[in-house]
Amino acid sequence: MNKTWINSIIGLLAIVGVVAFGFWLSKDPTDDFQASLPGADNRQAGNLIQEIVRIGENFNLFGAKAPEMNGTWSRFRGKNFDNIVSEKQNLKDTWTGDEPEILWSVELGEGHAGPAIYKGKVYLLDYDEESREDALRCFSLADGKEIWRRSYGVHVKRNHGMSRTVPAVTEDYVVTIGPRCHVMCVERESGNLVWGLDLVKEYGTEIPQWYTAQCPLIDGDQVILAPGGSTMMMAVDLRTGEKLWECPNTMQWKMSHSSIIPMTFQGKKMYVYSADGGVCGISASGEDEGKVLWQSNAWNHSVVAPSPVVLEDGRIFLTAGYGAGGMMIRIVQNGEQFDVEVLDEYQPREGLACEQQTPIVWKGHLFGILPKDGGANRNQLVCVHPDDVKTMVWTSGKDHRFGLGPYLIADEKMYILDDDGTLTMIKPDPSGYIELAQKKILDGHDAWGPLAIADGRLLMRDSKTMVCLAIGK
Amino acid sequence: MNAKKEHKPVDRRKFIQNGMRLTLGASLVGVTGLASLKLSANDYVWQLDPFKCVYCGRCADYCVLTPSAVKCVHAYDLCGYCDLCGGYLKPDANALSTAAENQLCPTAAIKRKFVEDPYFEYEIEEDLCIGCAKCVEGCSSFGNGSLHLQVRHDLCVNCNECSIARVCPADAFERVPVSSPYKIKGDFQAENNNPDPA
Repeated sequence: MNKTWINSIIGLLAIVGVVAFGFWLSKDPTDDFQASLPGADNRQAGNLIQEIVRIGENFNLFGAKAPEMNGTWSRFRGKNFDNIVSEKQNLKDTWTGDEPEILWSVELGEGHAGPAIYKGKVYLLDYDEESREDALRCFSLADGKEIWRRSYGVHVKRNHGMSRTVPAVTEDYVVTIGPRCHVMCVERESGNLVWGLDLVKEYGTEIPQWYTAQCPLIDGDQVILAPGGSTMMMAVDLRTGEKLWECPNTMQWKMSHSSIIPMTFQGKKMYVYSADGGVCGISASGEDEGKVLWQSNAWNHSVVAPSPVVLEDGRIFLTAGYGAGGMMIRIVQNGEQFDVEVLDEYQPREGLACEQQTPIVWKGHLFGILPKDGGANRNQLVCVHPDDVKTMVWTSGKDHRFGLGPYLIADEKMYILDDDGTLTMIKPDPSGYIELAQKKILDGHDAWGPLAIADGRLLMRDSKTMVCLAIGK
Repeated sequence: MNAKKEHKPVDRRKFIQNGMRLTLGASLVGVTGLASLKLSANDYVWQLDPFKCVYCGRCADYCVLTPSAVKCVHAYDLCGYCDLCGGYLKPDANALSTAAENQLCPTAAIKRKFVEDPYFEYEIEEDLCIGCAKCVEGCSSFGNGSLHLQVRHDLCVNCNECSIARVCPADAFERVPVSSPYKIKGDFQAENNNPDPA
């Protein structure tokens, strides 16, 4: 082969190489990639249907009578905000045969709203799907007959239930918060409307996912609310609806599913609220009433349902679902100021964590049910010591798993309701899981509404039905 | 004239050719018959039980195919159509949007579509799905469990010993009759004779 041929071949190869290199250089291997940008779901602007809501506009009197009783379960988590019934109940130690007897049942709108009980009457903020109304319904605890109903028209679409709050009841008044943040106060006996407040309209509250779950707090003559929007927390006169103080929401946090819990630390009373964005303590008395005493955005999760658990020594246990896990903080007084220390923070599989319900402090220990993402102990009732919430004192074991349902302690017995309406009674004890009895009570699903006990009767519900059980001896 | 056809003797070459043709034809018929019998109603294929699945992610890694023949399917009748979807969004996502940083799926195989306030529909783009089960874990932990995994039989090569079944920590893989090849969640389960769950 002569030299000309060789040079030609080399030249040709060089040209091919240069062309190939140029092609490689100019070709973007990601040019067929598509960027995932916001807005690809074509989300429409705006919230739920705008409508004129006249809070408490309708009233129905059904004429039933309720024999007066002594017991009360007057608000979310009870008298001491601990979900422990303080009144002696004399409850059965086990169930046999047909026990516990179902005394009565009522059909409800789909939801998870819990009842409050006050001297023989049951108060529940239901959603009437047929008439499309938030309805505060008053029943007789004795037989479940409806006595009166105070309602107002509001459009609420099904979204994992509609109702999900517990009324706050005093001797004279009942206060409710509806799914779309409508606050209503009525007279307890008559059901007469006292005042109403639209938090979305007046404070720009952003309605949480799956609607409002914050339960109203009545403290003395004040109703304490955490609207989010323009105002972090506020107090309203229980009798008149007049605004007493407002704490501006400079943090720009949003309303969560959690409820306000009072706390007294170093003689200072405060309201603790775990918002969507952070946790804070607002002064409840004195010259600085309504002012932020401390705040922290170290606890920042988009869905927070359990309420803060106030412990000794200024410690507060925080937990939430959707991967959040748990956090222990401590409030420290520093002169006139209060600071927040984060003592521990962990994933749901590393310690006590709860998705919907708030843990209970009992005999110096915390009892709670782990969420589905709680690792090997998922859905189990667990007991931990507040000094080390990541070490299980005991778990209920893989054969005793529960769901997102509520639990409550009365007479040294703990009642646990599973998603499917199965009720379990255990002896809450730091030494171990001691099951006393178990029975399937309801046939529905999503039995998540808080329990209530008074006068030896237990009120529980699934998504559509509430029943009253005789659990007393 | 003799009407009788004269019998022609077959030569050896012709005889061998005819014999070869006959053998080939018989072989083809036999192979076709065997092939049709291979997936008869009495035969079995691999499938995973979504109620046993623990969303470990091994379906994505251990299938002999790349990407895996295991795909996410959606039981629409179980779905809550939530805005905050645990199967679509990362926990504590910055915003409830379709931005890449908020999506849980590593290949953006789930499409989210606004229906009406507050509902969103979620659809699986199977070509992009790698069967990693991240969405299944999110949906099962925080939602109704409508997203779940299934072996897609239009892709599966039905190995004698499924390489995913060997490593499945929940023993969720099992042989199922080819006449009922899917184990679908939701009401669709009653109609699981349908070979296409999509």
